[in-house]
Amino acid sequence: MGNLWSLVLKEIKELVRDPKILIGVILMPIIIFPVMGSAINISTSSVQRAMITASFAIYNEDEGAPTDALLEHLYRNNTVITIEANGIQDALSKYQETNASTLLWIMEGYSENVSQGLKGELKVYANLKSLSIAEAGSTDAIGGLLNYYAYFLSIANINSLLEQAGAIGEASVVRSPLSVDYQSIIKGNVIDVAPSQIVSVIMSQSVMLPIMVMVMLMFAIQMAATSIAIEKEQKTLETLMTLPVSRLTILSGKLAGSIVVAVAGAIAYMIGFGYYMTSAFSFAPELTTMSTQDLSIGLEPLGTLLLGVNIFVTLVSGLALAISLATFTDNVRSAQSLTGFLTIPIMLPAIILMFSDLSMLPKTVQMVLLVIPYTHSIIASKAAFLGNYVLVLRSIGYITLFTLVVLYIAAKIFSTERIITARFTTFDMKKLLGRRSNRER
Amino acid sequence: MQYAIDVRNLTKTFGDIVAIDGASFTVKEREIFGLIGPNGAGKTTALRILSTLLKPSSGTATIFGNDVVKKPEAIRESISYLPEEAGAYQNLSGYEYLSFMAGFYAEDKESQDEMLKEAELISGLGERLDDRIKGYSKGMKRRLLLARAVMMKPKLLILDEPTSGLDVVHAFHVRQVIKEYADKKGVTVLLSSHNMLEVEYLCHRVSLINEGKIIAEGSPDELTQKFSAENLEQVFMEVAKLG
Repeated sequence: MGNLWSLVLKEIKELVRDPKILIGVILMPIIIFPVMGSAINISTSSVQRAMITASFAIYNEDEGAPTDALLEHLYRNNTVITIEANGIQDALSKYQETNASTLLWIMEGYSENVSQGLKGELKVYANLKSLSIAEAGSTDAIGGLLNYYAYFLSIANINSLLEQAGAIGEASVVRSPLSVDYQSIIKGNVIDVAPSQIVSVIMSQSVMLPIMVMVMLMFAIQMAATSIAIEKEQKTLETLMTLPVSRLTILSGKLAGSIVVAVAGAIAYMIGFGYYMTSAFSFAPELTTMSTQDLSIGLEPLGTLLLGVNIFVTLVSGLALAISLATFTDNVRSAQSLTGFLTIPIMLPAIILMFSDLSMLPKTVQMVLLVIPYTHSIIASKAAFLGNYVLVLRSIGYITLFTLVVLYIAAKIFSTERIITARFTTFDMKKLLGRRSNRER
Repeated sequence: MQYAIDVRNLTKTFGDIVAIDGASFTVKEREIFGLIGPNGAGKTTALRILSTLLKPSSGTATIFGNDVVKKPEAIRESISYLPEEAGAYQNLSGYEYLSFMAGFYAEDKESQDEMLKEAELISGLGERLDDRIKGYSKGMKRRLLLARAVMMKPKLLILDEPTSGLDVVHAFHVRQVIKEYADKKGVTVLLSSHNMLEVEYLCHRVSLINEGKIIAEGSPDELTQKFSAENLEQVFMEVAKLG
């Protein structure tokens, strides 16, 4: 135990004190994500400001009470530029000289149409100068005002019709006669939340969980590959292998040290990502306030435990795989290139399952994905949230089996001279195919 | 008689390449024994086999009676190996590195502290031991690594090119330490070198190795007399030509 602890401690010190790892794995996510979130927040806030402060121009060709009522609504609390012109072409050229984002043209006959129960005709021109999102938002401002006015105009019209007919009822009911209350049933409990809202929360979980598993695995693999490659690059491995300590203890020390740093990296990533989510979407608090806990689909203690076990075995499998591969290289760069191939089986299920459910996929794709152990990591993470523990256990079982096989291979490599003699690089495919190096002569 | 090292008909191949070709030699306890030969002669491979890093293709090698293939764990308890281009963990301080290594050999805190004191003396690095190893010069690193190798007073010290690439001051220090540990503390030393003059100064007996084969064996004096040469360098040239 003492030897293992010494190895783990050494491993952590070496990794954490390496500026590349400290900055790249732990500090960068904490700094980069909040910066990205703030950048998004600044731009979304500017869109909102542009929408609120947007000015528009009005060119009116009509007269009458309905027109006056519309104008009064539009002029109230808004910055409006009145365009005096002889015809729409003249109005358009004058409007383009102003800073107004949109021009509303109240066409001749508007009042007459509205009075006779016909549609009042209006036309909106948007001057797109920069084609930015903020500009698109500001051109929407007039649309909002007109929709609002149209609603109250229709309510007023319905009220007057009801009065004329002597009928009972409310105008808002006539306009929208049905009241539908959506409820959802989760794990047998009826909850007063619309299924569409739950789906949006589950969607965000579906995206977050695969990302989390993927990121942690990538960190773990990078750590483990680096830790072996550093030993080879700095020529410390040979000495380590002649110490009176079992090879299995050395392997375990490497795994444990890498897990600790990878978990720290994953935590840093999640903290950074959390800041990113809250700062980027702070303009829409309703998106972030509802959680799975609110919807009673949060993790129960058993679920948390199983999720932990799932993540642990996933990490160990990734680490063992990375260590096995990294032993075939002799420097950090080639180790990272070689383990880069592992991103394919990790990212493939993460990306596919982010947008779809396994059962929705064609049978052959399902089969391919189910062979990849990391598919099971993601399935288990989702299932833990939904309380489907049988599925979680099945996934853990599969990953554990895979991990044991890989650990056996890693232990075998560690117990043979291959750990010393293997010096393959990604740039030397001939050696990768089995020709042994003779550099130790 | 039990030898510290007993190598018989040792062969090691890497694919088609024969790195060691039926080599045999013995090393007595408390002896400084040198394996000398040019680059690529098979010295490092031989030392790696004896350090349990590589397995022989055929033949046997035993250390204090323990076979390198059958009892590698027992051998690792009694040896200390210093590879030619050995490095140390760059992000640890010299002291942390020594402490980490001593932990594998010390039975308790007291003996670990003793080893560290010893290492401090051997390395002669003083307060620099508190600095990160990444700031050390090549000579300082080699001193630290030698201190690591000898601080636990192993029964057998295996050194691959111990002074390779060092300046005269550091090389002198390293040679002094090796000689002192063998002469005064009873440590058996097996070293490889292509520096024949160094070997002549340090070793009680030597084996000349070329293209994986042992081509001559004896004390430096015996060999120089036998081949009527002024030094081992001349002996080697003569024997290699004959071989």
